[in-house]
Amino acid sequence: MNDETKKKINARYERELNKGERFWPDSIFKDLIVSLGIFVLLVLLATFIGVSPEPKADPSDTSYIPRPEWYFLFIFKFLAIYGQIPVLGKIEWIATVLIPGIAVGILTLVPFIEKRPDRHYGKRILPISIMIIMVVGAVLLTMTSEVPTVSADGSKFLGYLQSISGLIIPTVAMTALILMSFVFKGTSTRTMIWTTVLASVSMILVSGVVLALHPRSVVEETEVATTLVDQITAGQDLYSIHCTECHGDDGSVAVIEGVEGLEGEEITPINSKDVLYTITDSAMYEVIAYGRPNAGMTPFGKAYGGELSKSEIDYMTIFMRYMWDDRFEAPEIKPLFPALADGEVPSYDVHIQPVAKRYCVSCHRAGKENNNYLMTSYEEILTTGDNAEKNIIKGDESSYLLQVIQEHAIMDPENPEEELIGVMPPSKALKPDVVDVFVRWIMNGMPQTAEEAAALFVLPTPEATAAP
Amino acid sequence: MWKKVYEWLDERLGLNDMYTNLLDRPEPTGNWWNTLGSASLFLFVMQGLTGIFLTVYYTPSPDHAYDSVQYIMEGVAFGWLIRGIHHWGATLMVLVVFIHMLRVFFTASFKYPRELTWLIGIGLLLMTLGMGFTGYLLPWNQRAFWATTVGTQIAGSVPFVGEFILKALRGGPDLSALTLQRFFSAHIWMLPALLAGLIGIHLYLIIKHGESHFPSKED
Repeated sequence: MNDETKKKINARYERELNKGERFWPDSIFKDLIVSLGIFVLLVLLATFIGVSPEPKADPSDTSYIPRPEWYFLFIFKFLAIYGQIPVLGKIEWIATVLIPGIAVGILTLVPFIEKRPDRHYGKRILPISIMIIMVVGAVLLTMTSEVPTVSADGSKFLGYLQSISGLIIPTVAMTALILMSFVFKGTSTRTMIWTTVLASVSMILVSGVVLALHPRSVVEETEVATTLVDQITAGQDLYSIHCTECHGDDGSVAVIEGVEGLEGEEITPINSKDVLYTITDSAMYEVIAYGRPNAGMTPFGKAYGGELSKSEIDYMTIFMRYMWDDRFEAPEIKPLFPALADGEVPSYDVHIQPVAKRYCVSCHRAGKENNNYLMTSYEEILTTGDNAEKNIIKGDESSYLLQVIQEHAIMDPENPEEELIGVMPPSKALKPDVVDVFVRWIMNGMPQTAEEAAALFVLPTPEATAAP
Repeated sequence: MWKKVYEWLDERLGLNDMYTNLLDRPEPTGNWWNTLGSASLFLFVMQGLTGIFLTVYYTPSPDHAYDSVQYIMEGVAFGWLIRGIHHWGATLMVLVVFIHMLRVFFTASFKYPRELTWLIGIGLLLMTLGMGFTGYLLPWNQRAFWATTVGTQIAGSVPFVGEFILKALRGGPDLSALTLQRFFSAHIWMLPALLAGLIGIHLYLIIKHGESHFPSKED
């Protein structure tokens, strides 16, 4: 750039300054308004959306699908699309280092690449067009980042569409634009603008098709207990499922009964002071995660082949601490289910599910000896088991399930001396209010949701009772 | 009385000079898009302030990081608000800085005499992304852990020196307490110090050359 151009630019700026404004207060006023708006927006976002809770980091859980912060998603997606290219796609560093490196390099050197002093849009069609295509591409890559390049059924169709919108169209369009500027110099501005518009619109359309064809996957929400009460409740549910068989529902068992292979094994009651006062939280964590193989306790942590995550084991130790350790003050725990009013019908979602989780699922789940009767979902409770047809009969008090939870064992009809099903739960009878929940539920037709149950709610009116 | 105090301070600080040189400057007629730079600065300051409050309770160790963040969210008065602002501020800052870059590009404000301002600006953009990357690991949750595992893996794919970069970032072959410690250090000391320095130069250059005017057909 020669001195004359510089002088011209400076003189031009001088003229703009003369008909301009003052930095204070004119410019600062606008800045303050925008900053204030951003502050209000931040407070609103923090208050009403907040930060979604996540489970604790678990290096042993390799099944976790990593997702970067949203502003890196487009690079992730670009890597996935690039990986589809034959031969070149196998050379990873081209996509991870070379291409981003070149992009950042060009962006940094923009003032030295575009050296002409022209500033008006009409004279800068090429750089503006390239930038628009890049930005549209990055936005679309971010939006389609959820869609895998290989669908669940193995089809690569969506992957191909994504490479068309994310790689082929932008590359072709940018090459065409560069050729138009430097090789076919006669190309009109209008053609270049249309090329950009066409490329952007077709990228948007193809990505739209990708999003429309992508089956909405139900995101599996991992439950994260954030408050102490939630953590204790979650811990108690997990304890009920994984530990009660051997340790009892209050941790007081000293001699194991009724567990195959461990019958008669003597153990220290885990709710005793000896255990709680001498074992720290982290030691307790390790015992649950690694187990006590020599004493017959299997590992429960994922790192050692169990099924519990770090957060889940943490909840269990929190539960034991707050409920059994007398140095800790237990907060008020929510009841397992809301108490039933007269005539109210319990539902699976609100009443049966938490009860089953607390008292039944420990044995009634896959891999345990339970006459194939599973209780982890609504369907399972109603349809599984060797005696499924007699187990739950709508409106019938002789349903097997109701019999056994009320301390009546079912005798084998072919061999009246043998128990077909013993009383349940085997060690300790359910409390009357829990039994009442099951009775009302089965007598009134086993509603699943709270709405279905509410529809069955009959208020005991005086007339109804008085009617003959 | 106040006048005397002001005069005393002015003699020593040069308040009047500051006013004429910094504030009472002529500017080309402004545009709302021109506020994005100051908005980025505002967000940087907000992130700094909320970040300082967060370090009061945050513990950068794998054993305690997650629980200390939980405690900030549940136990500390208004901890959820401070963390919420810091969390959303990071998202907004990346967005605002990026749009600010686009604005400068589309109005060609990076041209003579503001080339250096652009170069520093790109440095600021990259460092903002670096802040996002290092800050993402600190809550030590599943999302953070695995995103950083993959992120550092990508850095490790550089030919020849990749292995070294990976180990330098992680402080060893795997993500560990060292990784958390150095990401924390980078997030609260190294990158903010660099950012603050570069912001200083960026602002000096803006005052030196003035804000660029919106281009018209003449330009």
